[in-house]
Amino acid sequence: MKIEYPYERTTGPVVGAFLGALRDGRIVGNRCGDRVLVPPLEYDPDTAAPLDLDLVDVGPGGAVTSWTWIAEPTRKHPFQHPFAFALILLDGADVPFVHAVDAGSIDAMSTGMRVSAQFRDERSGAVTDVYFVPESAAVAQTITPGQEPVTMTTHLISLEVDEPLAPHRERFRAGLQEGKIIGQRSPASGKVYVPSRGYDAMERVQMTEADDVVCSDRGAISSFTEITPVQYYGQEETEPYVRASILLDGTDSPIIGIDIRGDDIAGVRVGMRVQAVWRPAADRRTDDMDNRWGGAWESVIERWEPTGEPDDDPRPLQQYAF
Amino acid sequence: MTGQAPSITRVTEPRDVAIVAVSQTDSHRSYLEGEPTLIMQCVNDLLARTGLDRDALEFTIAGSCDYLSGMPFAFVANIDGVGAWPPVYESHVEMDGAWALNEAWFRLQCGDIDTALVIGSGKSSPGRPREVFPLQTDPYTMAPLGLDPVSMAGIQARALVDAGLATEADFAEIVSRSRRNALANPHAQVANDTSVKDLLAEPYFAAPLRRHDLPPISDGAAAVILVAGDRAREIAERPAWIRGLDHRIESHHPGLRDLTTSASTALAAKHAGVANGPIDVAEVMVNYSPEEVVLRNALGIPPGEGGAVVNPSGGPLAGHPVMATGLVRFVEVAQRIFDGSADRGVAHASSGPCLQQNLVCVLEGEA
Repeated sequence: MKIEYPYERTTGPVVGAFLGALRDGRIVGNRCGDRVLVPPLEYDPDTAAPLDLDLVDVGPGGAVTSWTWIAEPTRKHPFQHPFAFALILLDGADVPFVHAVDAGSIDAMSTGMRVSAQFRDERSGAVTDVYFVPESAAVAQTITPGQEPVTMTTHLISLEVDEPLAPHRERFRAGLQEGKIIGQRSPASGKVYVPSRGYDAMERVQMTEADDVVCSDRGAISSFTEITPVQYYGQEETEPYVRASILLDGTDSPIIGIDIRGDDIAGVRVGMRVQAVWRPAADRRTDDMDNRWGGAWESVIERWEPTGEPDDDPRPLQQYAF
Repeated sequence: MTGQAPSITRVTEPRDVAIVAVSQTDSHRSYLEGEPTLIMQCVNDLLARTGLDRDALEFTIAGSCDYLSGMPFAFVANIDGVGAWPPVYESHVEMDGAWALNEAWFRLQCGDIDTALVIGSGKSSPGRPREVFPLQTDPYTMAPLGLDPVSMAGIQARALVDAGLATEADFAEIVSRSRRNALANPHAQVANDTSVKDLLAEPYFAAPLRRHDLPPISDGAAAVILVAGDRAREIAERPAWIRGLDHRIESHHPGLRDLTTSASTALAAKHAGVANGPIDVAEVMVNYSPEEVVLRNALGIPPGEGGAVVNPSGGPLAGHPVMATGLVRFVEVAQRIFDGSADRGVAHASSGPCLQQNLVCVLEGEA
């Protein structure tokens, strides 16, 4: 499973100047007393006093003050082949700057070695616009400066999570595949929770396979809200729909995140009796189910059909909104 | 703003606060049930050990991180394990449980309540920790490089070697001893008796670090009960009293720090009063073996005969349930004070790359 959060951050004048310079093929620091800091800072790191925007060009050459050889890069690293991360004291700077050195081989690396900046062909005003190589391997570059100042950065956080289904969750999944909704009856309270989380949160007891029960696929709507989709990053809904909770007959916790669409929206009310209309067995898809609380309902149940029975009393359903 | 910090004066002596009970799960390479279940095991264990009812705990606080397991609002789900009913004062820190303990100590200083439940928990196994941790670094100059703690630890290790403060054999000795110590720790994940020579024969991973210089990827939880004043003596035969507790932070720019020392640890140790008496045991958050060299110097616990025993549990190199790892250091020291094998100990926790933040606590038993 992939989880993504897109971030846009304002740079402010100091970081913006630093990133703008990188885009333009230069590296800048700023003066702090009699020191030059790289990357430039908005404040004196010792006293927290604000610093004037007193930029100084540094590099492109420098000396490695410490380094490590990354034999197995992560997917987030600047290179997908082995390289070094290093602290680099750029010419004209007084503090080292951490960045990547594309040295080809660990044998090319040593503390004190000279390196030089190289700029990527595609630059966006980001710290990844630059990298370093051993000075002897540096090639002359002609860089055309950009036009506008850099005021924003974008950073897409994208994390992959790979988690096996918890044992109780796997049994729930297998049940859905067979057209059964499996919950668990608490050995402490006798209450039936569905989908189970593998424990009774009220009594703080773990549950086992012996506590599994097959629940009814009929029940009453216990709460609902009509949602008009806002088009945020990752949104897949375009039309208004109803998100409902349903208290299945004989259970003590509602199933939540039940989506009701199209003409079925009309008439939805708390207390309305509904029944699952299962997809044909061959069409049920549960292989992308995860350990989150939701039930992957729509991939196994086509819709929840009103039964036509008289409504349940809505008042006791109030405590089963979630 | 004049740039001048307000002067803070302590107007009263702090209340005495003690750890009265501790619990931890095993460090699991991959725990199949959810994080709340890990927490539930610790909470139920603590209640059984103390005979306290859940509603006797007036404040609960947990340290965890949703990014690790990739589950938004995992910290809310975790309350299932604490027991959401009856409701009490509840808090959360997006930091190791050691910082939850720090906040609980301050909460108990308010004087209106006497008991607190502190939890740390984490499941690192579902995600890729080396891709998650760069997100805690500077979002403009470091995070886009994917600068991960393993890489930063490698840079720190080389700085130590270049400065003549340690050798690769020293790192291997720390790993060898930690894993050997872990043989006596039933909760440890990596426990074995491997020689320095064999460890040094392994290939580099983030040179000069080898894979064994890194902590394992672990799932787990820990929890403790804090009690203020005389009630602590009613619950524990020999409470572990918090005699000093201090937390200091250094710059998030590694270039602004001397990576061969830990100024924040030394300062926290000074304010926690580490040097005010002999230290029997120190549980130190050594996530990467070179950090033990830095931390021993900063805490004033040199290696050698007659000194404090450092990481008798094996430390994080033997089990690293992120967000519980620091709190486990408190668990291990307090346990040794409970059983009388130590009278005075140091628990240390760190956060951020290359020991950026450090928390130091002195725990004592009564004679």
